[in-house]
Amino acid sequence: MLVVEKNGYQKQVMTLYRFISDHLYFNRPDIEVKGETYNSVILFSLLTGLLKGKELIIGEPGLGKTTSAEFICSLIYQFPLGVIWGSEVSGHPEQTEEKIIGRPDLGKLNRGEEDVVWTNFAQVPVKIVDEINRLPETKQSMILDGVDRGNWEYLNEMIINDEYCLFATANYQDGGTNTIIAPLIDRFDVIVESRYPGPNLSFLIGKSRRKEQVLRHPKYEKALHRILKSKVAYEKKIPKLEEVCDAFGEYVEETTGIKPLRREDRNHIRTEIESLELDLDASAFTRMVLAELSFCDRYGQKRIVENCEEGCHYTGYLCRQIKNCASNRLPTSIKLFAQGLAWLSGDSEIDIEHVKAIMPFTFSHRIQWKDEVISQKERAKRDDPFQIFLAKEAVKTVSQRYREQSDHLKDALALGSKIFQGESLEPLEGDHPIYAEIKKDLLRRRNQ
Amino acid sequence: MEEERLQAIIEEMWPRLKRKHLFPEIPVPKVGKVVDLSVDEQGMDDSAERRVGLEMKEKQMTINPAFLSTLKGKMTEENLIEALLDHGITHYTFCPWDFQTHLMLYAEAKKVMGDKESAKQAANYFIDVIADTHCVKKRATEIPELHRNLKKGAVEEVIASLYQKIWGIDLGISPQGKEEKGRAEIVRRLARIPYLDRSRWTESIRKFTRSLKPLLLLAQQEQEARGGKGDSNPQGEHDMNHYSYEEIDDGLREYAQKTMGLSEFREVVEDFSTELKEMGYGIEGGMGRGRGTHIDADILFYMKLAENYSIPVKRLPLEKTGTLHPHSHSPWEVGTPFQDIDIWTSFGKIMPGITQTWKKKEGKGRGKIEGTPDCLIIIDSSGSMINPRKSLSYAVLGAACATNAYLRNNSKVAVYNFSDAPMGGREILDYTENREDIYRALCKYFGGGTALDLEDIMPLIKGKKELDLFIITDMKITNLETLIGFFGKIQNRITAVHIGENPYASRFEKAVEKRKNINIFTVKKKEDIPHIVLGSIREYFNPMNKNR
Amino acid sequence: MKNGDLKKKSFHPPVSKPNTFSNPFEEFRTFHFRKEEIPLDRIVQSAEVVMDQIRLGYEKLLEEEAKELVWMVQYNTIIKAYEVAEKYIKEIDYSAEDIEDFCFALENTQKIPYLIPGPAGIYISALCNYAKEEEIVLKLSELKTEINLIGFRLPKGKRLMVEGDTGDFTGIGLEGGEMVIEGSSKNWTGAGMRSGKILVKKNIGLHTGEWMMGGEIYVGGRVRGLGNIVEGKVFEREKLVYPGKARNPNIYY
Repeated sequence: MLVVEKNGYQKQVMTLYRFISDHLYFNRPDIEVKGETYNSVILFSLLTGLLKGKELIIGEPGLGKTTSAEFICSLIYQFPLGVIWGSEVSGHPEQTEEKIIGRPDLGKLNRGEEDVVWTNFAQVPVKIVDEINRLPETKQSMILDGVDRGNWEYLNEMIINDEYCLFATANYQDGGTNTIIAPLIDRFDVIVESRYPGPNLSFLIGKSRRKEQVLRHPKYEKALHRILKSKVAYEKKIPKLEEVCDAFGEYVEETTGIKPLRREDRNHIRTEIESLELDLDASAFTRMVLAELSFCDRYGQKRIVENCEEGCHYTGYLCRQIKNCASNRLPTSIKLFAQGLAWLSGDSEIDIEHVKAIMPFTFSHRIQWKDEVISQKERAKRDDPFQIFLAKEAVKTVSQRYREQSDHLKDALALGSKIFQGESLEPLEGDHPIYAEIKKDLLRRRNQ
Repeated sequence: MEEERLQAIIEEMWPRLKRKHLFPEIPVPKVGKVVDLSVDEQGMDDSAERRVGLEMKEKQMTINPAFLSTLKGKMTEENLIEALLDHGITHYTFCPWDFQTHLMLYAEAKKVMGDKESAKQAANYFIDVIADTHCVKKRATEIPELHRNLKKGAVEEVIASLYQKIWGIDLGISPQGKEEKGRAEIVRRLARIPYLDRSRWTESIRKFTRSLKPLLLLAQQEQEARGGKGDSNPQGEHDMNHYSYEEIDDGLREYAQKTMGLSEFREVVEDFSTELKEMGYGIEGGMGRGRGTHIDADILFYMKLAENYSIPVKRLPLEKTGTLHPHSHSPWEVGTPFQDIDIWTSFGKIMPGITQTWKKKEGKGRGKIEGTPDCLIIIDSSGSMINPRKSLSYAVLGAACATNAYLRNNSKVAVYNFSDAPMGGREILDYTENREDIYRALCKYFGGGTALDLEDIMPLIKGKKELDLFIITDMKITNLETLIGFFGKIQNRITAVHIGENPYASRFEKAVEKRKNINIFTVKKKEDIPHIVLGSIREYFNPMNKNR
Repeated sequence: MKNGDLKKKSFHPPVSKPNTFSNPFEEFRTFHFRKEEIPLDRIVQSAEVVMDQIRLGYEKLLEEEAKELVWMVQYNTIIKAYEVAEKYIKEIDYSAEDIEDFCFALENTQKIPYLIPGPAGIYISALCNYAKEEEIVLKLSELKTEINLIGFRLPKGKRLMVEGDTGDFTGIGLEGGEMVIEGSSKNWTGAGMRSGKILVKKNIGLHTGEWMMGGEIYVGGRVRGLGNIVEGKVFEREKLVYPGKARNPNIYY
């Protein structure tokens, strides 16, 4: 794979990618961007780790959902696997707040004092929730704020994770699973499927057991556990943790030749990534998709409790095919991951190809499709799981619409900008919901 | 070696081309031999190999190196390749874009031309004009240069003249003698057509074909006189193998819905039946059917149309066993019972904020498996109902929707199609999962009197513990009282859909109004039948609404 | 209770004026779309403009002559309608292709809500008579309805060829022009024609040449019935049927 060198960080990350792909998580490439093929799980997991994102990994049991997340976290954050295993939360009905977030210090409690012993899960920056859909819905609600903002509260005490990423895994629906509640699922930036790698690679996995030993180090694991257990303020633990993690990172570099990322590396990468902006086509296209996923001519916006009427003018658009409205987290996720992908590709700007590549993964779990759409497409030939397939088809459809009217749309947005600044011009007309939305924004501005 | 060199050129220009066309989802084009479909094997010779420059098969474009050599010296290789790829990409991104559009354009062309081959030709020319014009207007392209250098027949000359006029680019076409007046008139007509307005393609292709008709007929005659097929299109032919199986399936469904016209759909499917069969496309997907099996276009029409009204597969419901067991924890509050406190998770403390209590839930397991029941469809095909093979019958469409819903949920469907049953006007199909057989039974039309024979229905109901009944009729049944009496005795869920108000329907409604297992729907507009049928099925399939 | 150390980030909200909103279209401010035009755009646009003018003329004709959308075929109504049509047509710069497009637009109720065959035919006749071209070809074989009164007062020097069938009163009042119908025409073909030639390649209906004052009618197929012909000739399959053997008008074969 060719990687355009900027200042070496892309190369370093791609080295991590290759290492995972060749030695740890055997897979087949299933996504192509700018002529390069990637495996979506590794790619999106790497980006999630770099971007402080949240990823939901779905798939059949035993296909490497959890292990892939563990490897990524170990290499991006320099945590030995033993610590990651010890900080994972597994989804089952008997989980409690005390097991997930923190518990009272029992010794102090007996003396009548309140103090919180935080779990490893709350403290470490790498958070993995295994089989999240086996958590009862009440417990899912409990971790909403932590998942969303890294805020963990127990007994009126709080720790805030400045740097964290979250991976959750989920099997497909069976008798023991619950639905992931809508507010929680909306908090995930992306969803990917960990797929079966084929019989030959699967056989290879069977042969190469204990491959994860390269990412273990009992001494450092012990040291980290000791720090996490220590009765020191959380903020004071962080530099100590980093020290041990850096040492572990050096160990990994010595043994494997690949260099995990240190905190300052991650910060530099984020700074570089944040500097990338969407080009006009990418921006206009994203707005077009968002318009179709939220617009309703009759009721002002999409709402899950409202049905479409027959004969609506906008019957041909995605708003007709979906039940709910896209949330404000969606454009954040799109921009974040498009930036990450553009950075990784070595591009100086985010173009429409980056956006199209990541978009299905950012909204397939957030959109609820109508029955007619599901029944029409559920038996279509595909490689992706159904929800991701539907999202990809939707992106393709909107993309074709965009191709036809890209200039007109950009013109409308340019005109919108001028009108917003106070010029007395008329907004451009168009059939697509985005034009109606532009008019609404301009009307709001005029009414001030 | 040569192919490798050309492939390298393509790979080098591909990122730029993709960006130019806003990143279409098509793979990198290849270089290879392109089969000229217009020439049969006996006619295949050296020159035949060089005629076609580009092939598109299920989105994979292939450039013919032999063709490239024919234009050596006239155009650089890079420009030539780029022009061909621009053309091919635009077919994917703009016109025809999908199989439904292709079918629509063909159908409209056929209305003017009258025969399949010339309609196909007209549609192909139209599609090419749109694609090339779109490219010239919206993108920087070498397509005009390509046209300047291509060898042209009579029709191609006119098309090139058209391009000169509408693009404003000199393609080297100059007036030629006495034919010029006629050609100029054709070009004048063709130049007025709004090729880039997709919403008007239907009327545009008719205008286009009308104007080009004399030339196409002449070309056809000359072809026949020569005894061979016509010259192939150097920019590639537009036929079925542009599309994948799924695209064809989707296209037929969308076309059925768009036209809502049985005869139109039938005509198009019959015209393409050879190509469809060669691709393995049959009514039920073609697997194992092989070539030579006739595609029943009427049945295919109802199948495709019914797919637009489908509801998804219902998951198998789990039965609750009734016993409670500890399931999860919730915080204990002062005042709530003690007996379910979990001492372990409460760290031995009874205090708010620390103590946890068990929440108990009913166990879930598969006790008695409740699937979807089978369905008996009773459909009226008497003289007062529409003949489904002549025009769109919403009654048959509604029955088709019910069929689909039950089959998708792994149930079986039986059909009792009746007219004057005692006189032999009936078709009985026993419970089956074979969709084609069911549709065939539904589409049967007798057109006679209207009378049921209960002796026919009883064997279909006997022995079936759970069975849903759908009856779709206009209720003008001569032995309606017998039917009412029969329905009064059975406990099955019955959905009766009748069209229009009449004394018979009112009589039926009144007679069964107290029966909870019978739902009657009066349909004022026939178009409402599929929605009503689906509404009932949704209610049946939703476990919350079960009334058994 | 010991408070957790909450990390407070120093946060300085941006200084902004009250009630100011950030421009959501800011990034497009400098975008300038250079509209690429090709001659096709101009041609199509000008054809649209002409079609609108022609349509407007027709609607005005209906307003004036077909009150409540009822119009009776009578001598004076035809003349009156033609005068009104002339008035509007003279102001329009159109071509023969525009006439054909108008014929098809008549069938499209979205474009033209009312197709009243009489005034429509008169209007089309006026369009043909005032067209710049000497020869006009109208390809109307796909039209679902046949146009009546087409060819009214077609003057000398004009040739009107219709591909397809025509309705009643084809070539009525022909004034020296030549009409070729590549299909069939209905009743009263050539009624009141003064001079000129009508060639119908297929069949013709009843009352052919009613009050015909001169000129010739050639029929390639069958003539269903002749009208009261004053002067002129009628040929059926190259055989002269009028003046010919004594024959009552409107013989039903």
